Amino acid sequence: MSGFLSGAWAVARKDLLLETRSRERFVSMATFAMLVAVVFSFSLDPSVRARSIAGAMLWVTILFAGTLGLGRSFALERDSEALTGILVSPIPRGALFLGKFLANLAVVLAVEAVIFPVYGLFFGLNYGAGALGLLLVVLLGTIGFMALGTLFSAMAAHTRMGDSLLPVLLLPLLIPVVIFAASATQRLLIGRPLGEVQGSLRMLLAFDLVFLFVCTASFGAVVEE
Amino acid sequence: MSTPPAGADTPAVEARGVEKRYGALHAVRGIDLSLRRGEFLTIFGPNGAGKSTLLRMLCGAVVPTRGTVHIAGEPIGEGEDGWRRRIGLLSHQSFLYPGLSAAENLEFFARLYGLADRRARVDEALRGVELWERRGDAVRGFSRGMQQRLALARTLLHDPEVVFLDEPYTGLDPHASGLLTAVLQRLRDGRRTVVLVTHNLSQGLEQAHRVAVQVGGRWVSDEPAEAIDPATWERVYTERVAAAQ
Repeated sequence: MSGFLSGAWAVARKDLLLETRSRERFVSMATFAMLVAVVFSFSLDPSVRARSIAGAMLWVTILFAGTLGLGRSFALERDSEALTGILVSPIPRGALFLGKFLANLAVVLAVEAVIFPVYGLFFGLNYGAGALGLLLVVLLGTIGFMALGTLFSAMAAHTRMGDSLLPVLLLPLLIPVVIFAASATQRLLIGRPLGEVQGSLRMLLAFDLVFLFVCTASFGAVVEE
Repeated sequence: MSTPPAGADTPAVEARGVEKRYGALHAVRGIDLSLRRGEFLTIFGPNGAGKSTLLRMLCGAVVPTRGTVHIAGEPIGEGEDGWRRRIGLLSHQSFLYPGLSAAENLEFFARLYGLADRRARVDEALRGVELWERRGDAVRGFSRGMQQRLALARTLLHDPEVVFLDEPYTGLDPHASGLLTAVLQRLRDGRRTVVLVTHNLSQGLEQAHRVAVQVGGRWVSDEPAEAIDPATWERVYTERVAAAQ
């Protein structure tokens, strides 16, 4: 077990080290998210209260910005065929998945730390009362998104049309996660108590556990030729 | 995390009926081989002969469509440990991260192999390929020869018993090529088994104990290197390839 975790940590550490040097994924995702916020702020009819659709706006932004970053996740491994070097090493395939997943999760959470204040500013959202609940929803929603996204980005990296294929494969499968995450976010933003979104939180947790288990177990079949 | 040595009689590498198909393309067509510990095998063949595919199946990077491969008696593909610690792969691709420094690249691979004395091994490996002075520099700024030397250090970092070399001379200048040859000669220590895939007829023959020629996914010859006359080898090789195609 310690070999599994140390392997996962080695991969995550390497990916985060490369990301902190280049900031390639963070900058492109954050820029995209801010552009979406600008487009939303100019296109919304003044009679529409932004708060009433903020949950959907936030999750659409997270989803597309996250997918943009996921596309680059395995590009790191394609350069110089580094993935082959990892595949001939004794690291379990599940540990490789976990490492890539943790690094992707960290990058997307960092982008979300930019998205939420920007949306708060643009649309006058007050996170104060439901902040803890929102944090939980965002964390659980992002874990499910990144678990499935990491698996599919590995799959897409093996194909010639990888970048365009990723959203086509990934987004339909994420619909349940997005529905529960967006509806819970929406309720918390309009001031509903945390108890009212417990059902959504349980569903998100269930999706996370299933996605993490299935993706860890099936990752070897995806990355090996 | 050390791997127990295999028995003296156990082949270091053994393949039985190994095949690989990519859709309609039959890249490797049923190859059998058995290599003793310490043996150096060179595989020659024209482009598209399936040499690299065979090599990658032998080291577990590509899953065979049919057939089995054993490393030191252990079947590959079952479990993740053991046999993987016994092998190293050096390709014409470096498997390195351009954004990391030379030392960081080696440290990453040392972590993957769970090496206990990580820092010491990395330092020793960097000195061994004359890159100690450049240890903190990003690989992005390295010449092709320096990258290949670092890739060689990566391959040997965990002291593998079986070393697979896939066109390691590609793109190297004479100095880097000479350095690689010197290191490969050191690998002929009787303890390590080496499989080299190359187009370079003289370098490949010079170092081998055994020579195979692969054409169209099949071996058309497999013989001891001492049975080959270096003076006529190029002509013999060309005739064999032409006859098999």
